[in-house]
Amino acid sequence: METEQFNIRMPKGLVQDLGIISKLLKVNKSEWVKTKLAEDVHEEKSRLLMELSTLYANGMVNKEKIEKLVGKEVAGEMESIKAIAQKSAQRGIAYGKKFRKLHP
Amino acid sequence: MAKSSGSYILDTSALISLGSVHILEQVLKVFSVTTTGSVIRELEDFAKYGDKYGSIAREVLAWKSKLVIESCETKEPIKYIEPTDNELYSLALQKGLPLVTDETKLVHHARKNIEVYFTTLFLVMLAEARHFTKKEALHKLEELRDIRNWRNNIIYITTRNQLELLSP
Repeated sequence: METEQFNIRMPKGLVQDLGIISKLLKVNKSEWVKTKLAEDVHEEKSRLLMELSTLYANGMVNKEKIEKLVGKEVAGEMESIKAIAQKSAQRGIAYGKKFRKLHP
Repeated sequence: MAKSSGSYILDTSALISLGSVHILEQVLKVFSVTTTGSVIRELEDFAKYGDKYGSIAREVLAWKSKLVIESCETKEPIKYIEPTDNELYSLALQKGLPLVTDETKLVHHARKNIEVYFTTLFLVMLAEARHFTKKEALHKLEELRDIRNWRNNIIYITTRNQLELLSP
Protein backbone atom coordinates (compact mmCIF):
# COMPACT_ATOMS: atom_id res chain seq x y z
CA MET A 1 0.00 0.00 0.00
CA GLU A 2 1.30 3.43 -0.94
CA THR A 3 1.76 5.67 2.10
CA GLU A 4 2.36 9.32 2.86
CA GLN A 5 3.89 10.89 5.98
CA PHE A 6 1.43 12.93 8.09
CA ASN A 7 2.82 14.53 11.26
CA ILE A 8 0.65 15.79 14.10
CA ARG A 9 1.50 17.29 17.49
CA MET A 10 -0.54 15.82 20.32
CA PRO A 11 -1.02 16.84 23.97
CA LYS A 12 1.37 14.97 26.31
CA GLY A 13 -1.54 13.48 28.28
CA LEU A 14 -2.98 11.95 25.13
CA VAL A 15 0.39 10.42 24.22
CA GLN A 16 0.64 8.95 27.74
CA ASP A 17 -2.87 7.49 27.41
CA LEU A 18 -1.85 6.00 24.07
CA GLY A 19 1.12 4.42 25.83
CA ILE A 20 -1.19 2.79 28.39
CA ILE A 21 -3.46 1.42 25.63
CA SER A 22 -0.42 0.19 23.73
CA LYS A 23 0.96 -1.69 26.75
CA LEU A 24 -2.39 -3.18 27.76
CA LEU A 25 -3.33 -4.31 24.25
CA LYS A 26 0.26 -5.18 23.35
CA VAL A 27 -0.01 -3.25 20.09
CA ASN A 28 2.17 -0.67 18.41
CA LYS A 29 0.96 2.90 19.19
CA SER A 30 1.16 4.09 15.58
CA GLU A 31 -0.64 1.02 14.26
CA TRP A 32 -3.44 1.44 16.81
CA VAL A 33 -3.88 5.16 15.96
CA LYS A 34 -3.82 4.35 12.24
CA THR A 35 -6.58 1.71 12.63
CA LYS A 36 -8.78 4.00 14.75
CA LEU A 37 -8.26 6.92 12.40
CA ALA A 38 -9.10 4.78 9.36
CA GLU A 39 -12.38 3.67 10.99
CA ASP A 40 -13.39 7.24 11.86
CA VAL A 41 -12.35 8.65 8.50
CA HIS A 42 -14.37 6.00 6.64
CA GLU A 43 -17.45 6.59 8.80
CA GLU A 44 -17.28 10.39 8.59
CA LYS A 45 -16.62 10.37 4.85
CA SER A 46 -19.64 8.08 4.27
CA ARG A 47 -21.84 10.28 6.46
CA LEU A 48 -20.81 13.51 4.74
CA LEU A 49 -21.14 12.04 1.24
CA MET A 50 -24.60 10.75 2.18
CA GLU A 51 -25.59 14.27 3.28
CA LEU A 52 -24.20 15.71 0.07
CA SER A 53 -26.06 13.15 -2.06
CA THR A 54 -29.29 13.94 -0.18
CA LEU A 55 -28.85 17.63 -1.06
CA TYR A 56 -28.10 16.68 -4.67
CA ALA A 57 -31.14 14.38 -4.91
CA ASN A 58 -33.33 17.21 -3.62
CA GLY A 59 -31.87 19.68 -6.14
CA MET A 60 -30.30 21.84 -3.43
CA VAL A 61 -26.78 21.52 -4.83
CA ASN A 62 -25.64 20.98 -8.42
CA LYS A 63 -23.00 18.72 -9.99
CA GLU A 64 -20.52 21.58 -10.49
CA LYS A 65 -20.61 22.40 -6.78
CA ILE A 66 -20.09 18.72 -5.90
CA GLU A 67 -17.16 18.56 -8.33
CA LYS A 68 -15.54 21.53 -6.60
CA LEU A 69 -16.07 19.99 -3.16
CA VAL A 70 -15.15 16.34 -3.68
CA GLY A 71 -13.87 15.92 -7.23
CA LYS A 72 -15.03 14.69 -10.62
CA GLU A 73 -15.24 10.97 -9.82
CA VAL A 74 -17.69 11.30 -6.92
CA ALA A 75 -19.71 13.96 -8.77
CA GLY A 76 -19.90 11.72 -11.83
CA GLU A 77 -21.07 8.75 -9.75
CA MET A 78 -23.78 10.84 -8.07
CA GLU A 79 -24.92 12.11 -11.47
CA SER A 80 -25.16 8.52 -12.77
CA ILE A 81 -27.16 7.35 -9.76
CA LYS A 82 -29.62 10.25 -10.00
CA ALA A 83 -30.09 9.83 -13.75
CA ILE A 84 -30.68 6.07 -13.50
CA ALA A 85 -32.96 6.42 -10.43
CA GLN A 86 -35.10 8.92 -12.37
CA LYS A 87 -35.06 6.74 -15.50
CA SER A 88 -36.06 3.67 -13.44
CA ALA A 89 -39.00 5.54 -11.91
CA GLN A 90 -40.10 6.92 -15.30
CA ARG A 91 -39.94 3.48 -16.91
CA GLY A 92 -41.89 2.04 -13.97
CA ILE A 93 -44.60 4.67 -14.44
CA ALA A 94 -44.78 3.97 -18.18
CA TYR A 95 -45.11 0.20 -17.63
CA GLY A 96 -47.67 0.68 -14.86
CA LYS A 97 -49.83 2.94 -17.06
CA LYS A 98 -49.63 0.43 -19.91
CA PHE A 99 -50.81 -2.41 -17.65
CA ARG A 100 -53.64 -0.34 -16.22
CA LYS A 101 -54.87 0.37 -19.76
CA LEU A 102 -54.66 -3.30 -20.70
CA HIS A 103 -56.32 -4.48 -17.47
CA PRO A 104 -58.61 -1.69 -16.24
CA MET B 1 -51.30 -8.67 -15.02
CA ALA B 2 -50.49 -10.62 -18.14
CA LYS B 3 -46.90 -11.56 -18.96
CA SER B 4 -45.44 -9.13 -21.48
CA SER B 5 -42.54 -9.65 -23.83
CA GLY B 6 -40.18 -7.53 -21.68
CA SER B 7 -36.88 -9.14 -20.72
CA TYR B 8 -34.33 -8.06 -18.14
CA ILE B 9 -31.05 -9.37 -16.81
CA LEU B 10 -30.91 -9.28 -13.00
CA ASP B 11 -27.87 -9.52 -10.73
CA THR B 12 -27.65 -10.80 -7.15
CA SER B 13 -28.37 -7.39 -5.60
CA ALA B 14 -31.52 -6.98 -7.71
CA LEU B 15 -32.85 -10.45 -6.89
CA ILE B 16 -32.15 -9.88 -3.18
CA SER B 17 -33.91 -6.48 -3.30
CA LEU B 18 -37.02 -7.91 -5.01
CA GLY B 19 -37.05 -10.87 -2.63
CA SER B 20 -36.72 -8.60 0.41
CA VAL B 21 -39.96 -6.76 -0.40
CA HIS B 22 -41.71 -9.89 -1.73
CA ILE B 23 -42.33 -8.66 -5.29
CA LEU B 24 -40.20 -11.15 -7.23
CA GLU B 25 -43.24 -13.33 -7.94
CA GLN B 26 -45.15 -10.42 -9.54
CA VAL B 27 -42.09 -9.38 -11.56
CA LEU B 28 -41.67 -12.94 -12.87
CA LYS B 29 -45.33 -12.97 -13.93
CA VAL B 30 -44.77 -9.89 -16.08
CA PHE B 31 -41.19 -10.16 -17.35
CA SER B 32 -38.73 -12.74 -18.52
CA VAL B 33 -35.80 -12.61 -16.10
CA THR B 34 -32.34 -13.80 -17.10
CA THR B 35 -29.38 -14.26 -14.77
CA THR B 36 -26.14 -16.26 -14.63
CA GLY B 37 -24.96 -19.40 -12.88
CA SER B 38 -22.53 -17.24 -10.87
CA VAL B 39 -25.45 -15.25 -9.45
CA ILE B 40 -27.23 -18.48 -8.48
CA ARG B 41 -24.04 -19.66 -6.73
CA GLU B 42 -23.83 -16.34 -4.83
CA LEU B 43 -27.45 -16.76 -3.72
CA GLU B 44 -26.75 -20.35 -2.67
CA ASP B 45 -23.82 -19.09 -0.57
CA PHE B 46 -26.07 -16.48 1.11
CA ALA B 47 -28.74 -19.16 1.68
CA LYS B 48 -26.38 -21.18 3.90
CA TYR B 49 -26.65 -18.54 6.64
CA GLY B 50 -29.43 -17.99 9.14
CA ASP B 51 -29.43 -14.18 8.85
CA LYS B 52 -31.86 -11.94 6.92
CA TYR B 53 -29.91 -12.24 3.66
CA GLY B 54 -29.90 -16.03 4.01
CA SER B 55 -33.66 -16.03 4.43
CA ILE B 56 -34.19 -13.71 1.43
CA ALA B 57 -31.80 -15.77 -0.72
CA ARG B 58 -33.78 -18.95 0.07
CA GLU B 59 -36.99 -17.16 -0.92
CA VAL B 60 -35.40 -16.06 -4.22
CA LEU B 61 -34.01 -19.54 -4.94
CA ALA B 62 -37.53 -20.96 -4.56
CA TRP B 63 -38.23 -19.18 -7.90
CA LYS B 64 -35.10 -20.53 -9.62
CA SER B 65 -37.10 -22.63 -12.12
CA LYS B 66 -38.74 -19.42 -13.44
CA LEU B 67 -35.37 -17.77 -14.19
CA VAL B 68 -33.50 -18.10 -17.48
CA ILE B 69 -29.94 -19.02 -16.51
CA GLU B 70 -27.17 -18.29 -19.00
CA SER B 71 -23.42 -17.92 -19.03
CA CYS B 72 -21.27 -15.54 -21.02
CA GLU B 73 -17.59 -15.06 -21.74
CA THR B 74 -16.28 -11.71 -20.50
CA LYS B 75 -14.46 -10.12 -23.44
CA GLU B 76 -14.05 -6.48 -22.44
CA PRO B 77 -14.25 -6.34 -18.64
CA ILE B 78 -14.77 -3.11 -16.73
CA LYS B 79 -11.76 -2.90 -14.41
CA TYR B 80 -13.63 -1.45 -11.42
CA ILE B 81 -16.16 -4.26 -11.01
CA GLU B 82 -16.25 -7.89 -9.82
CA PRO B 83 -16.01 -10.85 -12.26
CA THR B 84 -19.64 -11.88 -11.55
CA ASP B 85 -20.83 -8.38 -12.46
CA ASN B 86 -18.59 -8.31 -15.52
CA GLU B 87 -20.23 -11.52 -16.78
CA LEU B 88 -23.69 -9.91 -16.38
CA TYR B 89 -22.45 -6.76 -18.13
CA SER B 90 -21.09 -8.87 -21.03
CA LEU B 91 -24.36 -10.81 -21.21
CA ALA B 92 -26.33 -7.55 -21.39
CA LEU B 93 -24.02 -6.31 -24.16
CA GLN B 94 -24.24 -9.59 -26.08
CA LYS B 95 -28.04 -9.97 -25.84
CA GLY B 96 -28.89 -6.27 -26.05
CA LEU B 97 -30.98 -6.56 -22.87
CA PRO B 98 -31.24 -4.07 -20.00
CA LEU B 99 -29.47 -4.93 -16.73
CA VAL B 100 -31.22 -4.36 -13.40
CA THR B 101 -28.92 -3.95 -10.39
CA ASP B 102 -28.81 -2.06 -7.11
CA GLU B 103 -25.00 -1.85 -7.22
CA THR B 104 -24.30 1.84 -7.75
CA LYS B 105 -20.70 1.30 -8.87
CA LEU B 106 -21.85 -1.14 -11.55
CA VAL B 107 -24.53 1.29 -12.72
CA HIS B 108 -22.02 4.14 -12.93
CA HIS B 109 -19.46 2.22 -14.98
CA ALA B 110 -21.87 0.25 -17.19
CA ARG B 111 -24.41 2.92 -18.15
CA LYS B 112 -22.35 4.27 -21.05
CA ASN B 113 -22.54 0.96 -22.93
CA ILE B 114 -25.71 -0.81 -21.77
CA GLU B 115 -29.18 0.10 -20.55
CA VAL B 116 -29.28 -0.11 -16.73
CA TYR B 117 -31.99 0.31 -14.11
CA PHE B 118 -32.43 0.07 -10.35
CA THR B 119 -35.00 -2.39 -8.94
CA THR B 120 -37.15 0.60 -8.00
CA LEU B 121 -38.42 0.38 -11.60
CA PHE B 122 -40.52 -2.65 -10.59
CA LEU B 123 -41.73 -1.10 -7.34
CA VAL B 124 -42.94 2.03 -9.14
CA MET B 125 -44.48 -0.07 -11.92
CA LEU B 126 -46.51 -2.21 -9.50
CA ALA B 127 -47.67 0.88 -7.63
CA GLU B 128 -48.68 2.70 -10.84
CA ALA B 129 -50.46 -0.47 -12.03
CA ARG B 130 -52.43 -0.38 -8.73
CA HIS B 131 -51.08 -3.77 -7.78
CA PHE B 132 -50.68 -2.18 -4.38
CA THR B 133 -51.57 1.20 -2.93
CA LYS B 134 -49.31 4.24 -2.73
CA LYS B 135 -49.06 3.72 1.05
CA GLU B 136 -48.04 0.09 0.59
CA ALA B 137 -45.49 1.08 -2.08
CA LEU B 138 -43.95 3.69 0.22
CA HIS B 139 -43.80 1.08 3.00
CA LYS B 140 -42.04 -1.37 0.68
CA LEU B 141 -39.58 1.37 -0.30
CA GLU B 142 -38.81 1.92 3.41
CA GLU B 143 -38.23 -1.85 3.80
CA LEU B 144 -35.96 -1.85 0.77
CA ARG B 145 -34.04 1.13 2.13
CA ASP B 146 -33.45 -0.69 5.42
CA ILE B 147 -32.33 -3.96 3.86
CA ARG B 148 -29.96 -2.16 1.46
CA ASN B 149 -28.85 0.42 4.03
CA TRP B 150 -29.73 3.22 1.60
CA ARG B 151 -30.59 5.72 4.35
CA ASN B 152 -31.37 9.05 2.57
CA ASN B 153 -29.48 8.23 -0.60
CA ILE B 154 -30.32 9.35 -4.13
CA ILE B 155 -32.18 6.15 -5.11
CA TYR B 156 -34.43 6.36 -2.05
CA ILE B 157 -35.21 10.08 -2.36
CA THR B 158 -35.80 9.99 -6.12
CA THR B 159 -38.13 6.98 -5.85
CA ARG B 160 -39.98 8.36 -2.82
CA ASN B 161 -40.56 11.67 -4.63
CA GLN B 162 -41.96 9.77 -7.61
CA LEU B 163 -44.22 7.54 -5.47
CA GLU B 164 -45.52 10.61 -3.60
CA LEU B 165 -46.88 11.93 -6.92
CA LEU B 166 -49.11 8.88 -7.43
CA SER B 167 -52.75 9.03 -6.46
CA PRO B 168 -53.61 7.09 -3.27
